Amino acid sequence: MPMYQVKPVSPADITVDLPTCMYKLPNVHAQGASLGEHALQNGEVDPTVKALEERQDEILRKLYELKATVDGLAKTVTTPDADLDASTLAHTLTHTPADAVLRGTADLDDLLGKDLGALRDIVINANPAQPPLSLLVLHALLCQRFQVLSSVHVHSSVSTVPAPLLSCLGPRHTHSYARHRFQLGFTLIWKDVSKLQMKFSTQNMCPIEGEGNVARFLYRLLGAEPRDPVSATLMDGWVDTALFQLAEGGSKERAAVLRALNAALGRSPWLLGQEFSLADIVSACCVLQTGQTSSAPANVQRWLKSCQNLGYFSCVDPLLQ
Amino acid sequence: MTKENVQGGGEEEQQAQSKKALKKQQKEAEKAAKKAEKQAKLASEQQETEEDDFAKDRYGICPMVQSQQKLDRALVRVQDLTLEKAEQQIWVRARIHTSRAKGKQCFLVLRHQQFTVQALLAVGDRASKQMVKFAANITKESIIDVEAVVKKVEQKIESCSQQDVELHVERIFVISQSEARLPLQLEDAVRPEGEGDEEGRATVNQDTRLDNRVIDLRTTTSQAIFRLQSGVCQLFRDTLINKGFVEIQTPKIISAASEGGANVFTVSYFKTSAYLAQSPQLYKQMCICADFDKVFCVGPVFRAEDSNTHRHLTEFVGLDIEMAFSYHYHEVIDSITDTMVQIFKGLRDRFQTEIQTVNKQYPSEPFKFLEPTLRLEYKEGLAMLRAAGVEMGDEEDLSTPNEKLLGRLVKEKYDTDFYVLDKYPLAVRPFYTMPDPNNPKYSNSYDMFMRGEEILSGAQRIHDAQLLTERAMHHNIDLEKIKAYIDSFRYGAPPHAGGGIGLERVTMLYLGLHNVRQTSMFPRDPKRLTP
Repeated sequence: MPMYQVKPVSPADITVDLPTCMYKLPNVHAQGASLGEHALQNGEVDPTVKALEERQDEILRKLYELKATVDGLAKTVTTPDADLDASTLAHTLTHTPADAVLRGTADLDDLLGKDLGALRDIVINANPAQPPLSLLVLHALLCQRFQVLSSVHVHSSVSTVPAPLLSCLGPRHTHSYARHRFQLGFTLIWKDVSKLQMKFSTQNMCPIEGEGNVARFLYRLLGAEPRDPVSATLMDGWVDTALFQLAEGGSKERAAVLRALNAALGRSPWLLGQEFSLADIVSACCVLQTGQTSSAPANVQRWLKSCQNLGYFSCVDPLLQ
Repeated sequence: MTKENVQGGGEEEQQAQSKKALKKQQKEAEKAAKKAEKQAKLASEQQETEEDDFAKDRYGICPMVQSQQKLDRALVRVQDLTLEKAEQQIWVRARIHTSRAKGKQCFLVLRHQQFTVQALLAVGDRASKQMVKFAANITKESIIDVEAVVKKVEQKIESCSQQDVELHVERIFVISQSEARLPLQLEDAVRPEGEGDEEGRATVNQDTRLDNRVIDLRTTTSQAIFRLQSGVCQLFRDTLINKGFVEIQTPKIISAASEGGANVFTVSYFKTSAYLAQSPQLYKQMCICADFDKVFCVGPVFRAEDSNTHRHLTEFVGLDIEMAFSYHYHEVIDSITDTMVQIFKGLRDRFQTEIQTVNKQYPSEPFKFLEPTLRLEYKEGLAMLRAAGVEMGDEEDLSTPNEKLLGRLVKEKYDTDFYVLDKYPLAVRPFYTMPDPNNPKYSNSYDMFMRGEEILSGAQRIHDAQLLTERAMHHNIDLEKIKAYIDSFRYGAPPHAGGGIGLERVTMLYLGLHNVRQTSMFPRDPKRLTP
């Protein structure tokens, strides 16, 4: 019996308006079919296999890198009197601070999620009684990397804020009227909070609390965090030591931290060795904040000077007086 | 015989009657005697009291004050009754808030405005039994003059605003008596929401309140609300005058609907008809064209919108700002937001008692804001809404629920109840809105929000007659009707922007109330024209 033709019910090229709040998955059926055909017809290598191979190569490469760094570390450990002229090294480093810090490759899309056409605004609530100096330094670093729209607000829970705190993020950007021109927003709110707090995406992320944790978050945006776990752990250690024992600790604890700093800085120009890092930023800010610059041991003094020579710390100076 | 008979029968009847009558009479006599006795007793008692009442001239009902005499007597206000005045003898004029007699004592709570104090009368060498009885019988809400000694109390009086002292009454006179039946009880009217339901106590519904607004306005909550509202107005004026603004008065009877809208009231105007102004915008803009640079006005505005919502009134007080700027309309946004912040700060610092009073009945979180005010762009707002799962188009206007949701999202992230949303799509704004220079889809317009509700809608206005004509034609507006408006820009006009807020809405949202009728003294809505 002959059959009659029917017009397609829906056009083939229909575009479906997909919601953006869900993630996409590849079409299971289409993929399988096409792959099977390909393999049969051309005998080509399956792309997934290819991806696997690439991944393996990448892992191997990382492993080699790791081995190299561990070898380097072993060298410095086994030869404690390595002939390192720290001061000259520091000196050469001060000439290339940008290289030192901006070596990382950070992509804001990767780190903060896809851009939805709106300014990605980082909101930091800080108590004016304890200005977070390290975050201001990180802000200066972020400004070098990205187009940052910085703004300072005073929350109604605080009645007055000293003038230097209002201008701590530098002068207002001349293009601040056009928010869409910026890659990143940095909004500092002076507020009556017991613990420093950072909010970014209230939907997908809980607030980050504590200056150290926020500092780590911001440092990650710079893409400069150490790759090897040893250095990363060291860095984390120094950040916590500085904030909990130097900034908040008693006089005995402070003295102990200063001695530890002195010892570490006797071995290398920066706390993590040859590279300036978050450990230096936070520790230096804490030393500056506790007002022990003049009584600090020699190595610490020299290190502070090198830090200040980098230029990122200039925003902190007005707040220290 | 027959006569006798008749007589006899009559006698019998009479006898029968008289028997009944006698009984009746007897009873009546008894009654009368009892009555007489009672009266005599009462009279004698009265006599007795008149004789015995040593405090006779210490209480009574004053003749109506017709300014017969000018007493040199200072009345102390209830709010000034503090520990400093302890042991002093003073005169107070106040209303009876509550009275409670208990044997030989009578406790009164006296109220003046939002302040209350406890007063005590006790039978003793100053007050007689009759005086206490008299005081206990004064109707609630009557106005009285009281002479009393201020005494410190050991335990704080929780139920009164003056908690540290009470008054020991020596004289009490009624100045103006209230009727005994009140249409609503004040203590019911200030009962916190929800509490009434739980304990089976009465609360007063909105319409009863509004029908008897005079009494409702006496409640501590209403007193505080309208004092704070006066503060908003005052702060608005002070701030703008300090910024170099000029206050102007604009006509309220106008010949044509200024915004071309249909929601205007028509009034008969001699042989023709006129409209009630729905916004002073045209006149504000004309003042700018007349080189007043920065102007504001405070006055009634009328909207013939038949919407019965919690935030719409047909007549409300508009606080309007218009300002010429140098190069960018953000100068105007900064000016307006700073004015708002100054108002919020002033209220926070000067009206804390009023805020607390209102919070007792209508608890809400304190109003939070940032200085300088947070400014977000419409696109960012959309992105935040979309991230929260709301689906809406780029050029779609915010619906009320979305406005509220966005308010919540912004508050979550920035912890502020006040923010500006800038750069609205051109399509959703009136024809006189200046388009964005870089993107024809957007415009130089902004809304301001308090607790997620829009309070101000403003924009840079087109100050060029030609562009204005184009935009009006694009919106299919009859050019004849807005000729006067367009003509005002023909002779050179400075670039300018502005906006207007509703006083009632700002007060409502600042205090976190839920109905704009609570912050309008005599509200007008589609269903209410009185009082």
